[in-house]
Amino acid sequence: MEMALFGNNESGKTDAWRSYERALLPPVRDLHRFDTYVGHGGYEALRAVLTREEWAPGKVIEAAKASGLRGRGGAGFPTGLKWSFMPPVEPGKPRYIACNGDESEPGTFKDRQLMEYNPHLVFEGILIAAWAMQIDATYLYVRGEYADWIRHMERELATLYDKGYAGKRILGTDFSSDIVIHKGAGAYICGEETSLLESVEGKRAYPRIKPPFPAQKGLWGCPTTVNNVETLACAPLIINRGAEWFAGVGAEKHPGPVLYGISGHVERPGVYEYPTGMLITDLIDKVAGGVRGGKKLKAIVPGGASVPVLRADMIEGVTMDAESLRKAGSMMGTAGMLAMDEDTDMVKFLRRVTRFYHHESCGQCTPCREGTGWIENLVTRIDEGQGTLRDLDILLELCDQMEGRTVCALADAAAWPVRNTIQRFREEFEAKCRQSIYAVA
Amino acid sequence: MPKITIDNKEYAFEGQPKLLQFCLDHGVELPHFCYHPALSVPANCRQCLVEVGMPVRDRETGEISRNDDGEPIVRWGPKMTTSCSVDMADGMAVRTHRSSELVEQAQRDNLEFLLVNHPLDCPICDQAGHCPLQNQTYKYGPEGSRFEFRKVQKPKKVVLGPRVMLDGERCINCTRCTRFTDEVSKSHQLTIIERGVKNYPMTPPGEVFDDPYSMNVIDICPVGALTSIDFRFRARIWEMSSAPSITVTNAKGANCSYWVRDNLVLRITPRANPHINDYWLPDEDRATYARFNEQRPDGPRIRGDEGLQPADWETAYARASELLGSADGSNILFLGSPHATVEDNYLLCKLAAALGASPPAYIPHVKPGAGDGWLITDDKAPNAEGCRRLGVRPVDPALVRARLEAGEIAALYALEDDPVASGLFQAAEIQDIPVVLHTYHTTNETLAAADVALPAAMVVETVGSYVSEDGHAQRVWPAKAIRGVNRTLRMEMGVSRLDSHGTPFDRWHNAANQVQCKPSWEMLPNIARGLGLEWADASPKEIMREIAQHLGAFEGATYENMGSSGVRLTEIGTLA
Repeated sequence: MEMALFGNNESGKTDAWRSYERALLPPVRDLHRFDTYVGHGGYEALRAVLTREEWAPGKVIEAAKASGLRGRGGAGFPTGLKWSFMPPVEPGKPRYIACNGDESEPGTFKDRQLMEYNPHLVFEGILIAAWAMQIDATYLYVRGEYADWIRHMERELATLYDKGYAGKRILGTDFSSDIVIHKGAGAYICGEETSLLESVEGKRAYPRIKPPFPAQKGLWGCPTTVNNVETLACAPLIINRGAEWFAGVGAEKHPGPVLYGISGHVERPGVYEYPTGMLITDLIDKVAGGVRGGKKLKAIVPGGASVPVLRADMIEGVTMDAESLRKAGSMMGTAGMLAMDEDTDMVKFLRRVTRFYHHESCGQCTPCREGTGWIENLVTRIDEGQGTLRDLDILLELCDQMEGRTVCALADAAAWPVRNTIQRFREEFEAKCRQSIYAVA
Repeated sequence: MPKITIDNKEYAFEGQPKLLQFCLDHGVELPHFCYHPALSVPANCRQCLVEVGMPVRDRETGEISRNDDGEPIVRWGPKMTTSCSVDMADGMAVRTHRSSELVEQAQRDNLEFLLVNHPLDCPICDQAGHCPLQNQTYKYGPEGSRFEFRKVQKPKKVVLGPRVMLDGERCINCTRCTRFTDEVSKSHQLTIIERGVKNYPMTPPGEVFDDPYSMNVIDICPVGALTSIDFRFRARIWEMSSAPSITVTNAKGANCSYWVRDNLVLRITPRANPHINDYWLPDEDRATYARFNEQRPDGPRIRGDEGLQPADWETAYARASELLGSADGSNILFLGSPHATVEDNYLLCKLAAALGASPPAYIPHVKPGAGDGWLITDDKAPNAEGCRRLGVRPVDPALVRARLEAGEIAALYALEDDPVASGLFQAAEIQDIPVVLHTYHTTNETLAAADVALPAAMVVETVGSYVSEDGHAQRVWPAKAIRGVNRTLRMEMGVSRLDSHGTPFDRWHNAANQVQCKPSWEMLPNIARGLGLEWADASPKEIMREIAQHLGAFEGATYENMGSSGVRLTEIGTLA
């Protein structure tokens, strides 16, 4: 099988990715329709877990563990391990999945493709996870701006219920589990797992203090697992093709197919499905057609706006997996890659990013609420040529004052790009600052 | 017993307290804003950050690993933690700003953030002087500001409801107010709107913040964002003094502080008492402070040819004694009062007994259905239970009427109430009999028939005890001075006024706004002596000691026992 080619970290550095066959978004016309999906072997994985002895719930969780699947929502937490945190079933106490389709981070647009082109894979993944953890209901939380795809998924979900693939006594078995599509109202913070829960409960989306974690006290105080859309979409692949197959795709410690959302100054921006562990340079140069207009690359944000930016000279040999990116000084995040060419003004880039976090801070915790606005003010002032070198120092100090001091990770997410962009492109920032009136010591 | 180490000092603890509360209870002050002991813990202000560590345990034996000096090896957490949300555990080690520069720095950083968009309007802010943000900034905050931009502008002077006004810019988003309406008053009338730095509390669209407990959010607001529409800009906190007391709007006996400036009560705020009202006070209890200031009498009056005329105290006492002495004792109707203290009612009972009259009765002030089962009761007087325990029963109007018509009422002695306004009599009906009246206000309708009008000290001017509907006996302290000399009151005032903001040489000795009145426990012995009875002057403390000794219903209710939070008296069955 060609997949064996991706069995180790080195393989991503060859051209073997060219022969990769898409599994999450296979090239099938009208796959979003129930009939087409079923016609192409859809819901066989669900049928298997519900009917075959070998797929008892615990076995599914073991398979998820063995596959090495890590969350695709940004944090990269091992999925099987997360599933195993769910407490034993307690009569009278409902259990939930919250499936996170609130993707709102700048540079991230891959869940949208799944929900548009292959929603049944998501539904099937949800139902397999529901079986694995004996879930009563799943809330699929989709950002409100995806209005078209929400409508279209609601239609497909209705078909699913009609055909007996969801709801009561799924496929004629004793297993019942519901799926509810919940429309967000357009707040980035709702993508944070606990504020997503608050939002589903109809409350203001303020992240919760952890512990207790959602597996102990989630939706309405009941055990809940929060998984990303793409993460759950991997579940049918693991059942159909086996955990070993999955573990063999892409990077060894961060395996599986993954949707790369490539945007910015490239010739062919878009969502591309390839194994993890791809060379960043391959993704930019070969997959996305190179930097637009033949220009030189200046910077890459490998996983959505919150992960640290990498200078072009830092990406040589770096592959898209947690390990390699950590060594390079960044993170995998959501694999939403943002490429910037040599003409990019990094101060302007940072100004735009800080504006986003200022706008999206929920305002619950003091450091993030006040810090994000102050940071935007400072970066704006520097961009407008009115900043001073002292402002740069204050910016870095504000990052220290915000990081790790809030309920959720949004303050960290807001501080990292600031710290890293300034550290990695300091000369650009200094060039925009006013001349100091003080002698340099 | 499990132990915890805070700043290298070991403390034993029981149960599972939250770290911040434990620290506050043990004199380890930690700055905080959003935490309130009666509300849920949101940990959103991030001010109470501390370093927390757990001892390293040997994996096999489970024993705590120790270093060469025998001290436990502590593994400190990777991040600082909000102490308000930490559940304490055995062996836990904590470093506050007293032993950790990191924590000290974090507290300073956080206060810098809180002040970034906080308006610098302390000179005109009602909260200034008792503002947690101001106080904690002095103690823990940075000097000056590094913020050189426009502050965020938010709505100001927003009328949230009839009693509460919002200044959105001062708000630091602690959510105490919204949690109060969600968790305590359960009116759900406040929520945070907008997002991020523009956040502020607001009512849902179309909703008015008319919660009967709405003003509590003013007390718990750690800044001047929520202010009292009534009290706004009325007085600076450091020009006022407060005295611990109870509210007399109803029979709950909710604990409060009366805030006084220049001998005028300007506001009433709750005083914590876990047995009665926790930290809260209904709005109706706070709204009635004007009655302590307005329409107060200016000395005793006696009826002459031209109606009630001013008289000095001695003359008024003598006239009262004379009128009572001339009537047949058994035909004097004594009316006690649920507004008066236990001591005053007790002295009246003694006087009635000495003159051979039947025991006093009291006029009930009950509005059925007015209560809410919490801090608002149907009974609108503070001491009906105290009266009942003294054997003072609710008056039977039919019986009184029958006695009046039969000519069996030769004189009326009414303590701190208004029999005419209550409908017990018409003024004309008692015009011809001698009436001695202890009154609070010049608007008392019984004054029309009174022969001797004795101005009585109200709860804010006297010392005495009240028994709540639930049988909780509590004493009060004087909050403001009255005209004239009463050594007991002078002495009590010296200890009662919490001059936390004032100076020792003060405005209370200023004669302005001092009411010319006396406590009934001072007046009654004077009248008794005029009737030839050998009554010595006694302070309320002594009177209460006597009551507690002689009446089983008041067992243990001495001033020493009552202290500042009262004592729960034993049930006395259905006396009433």
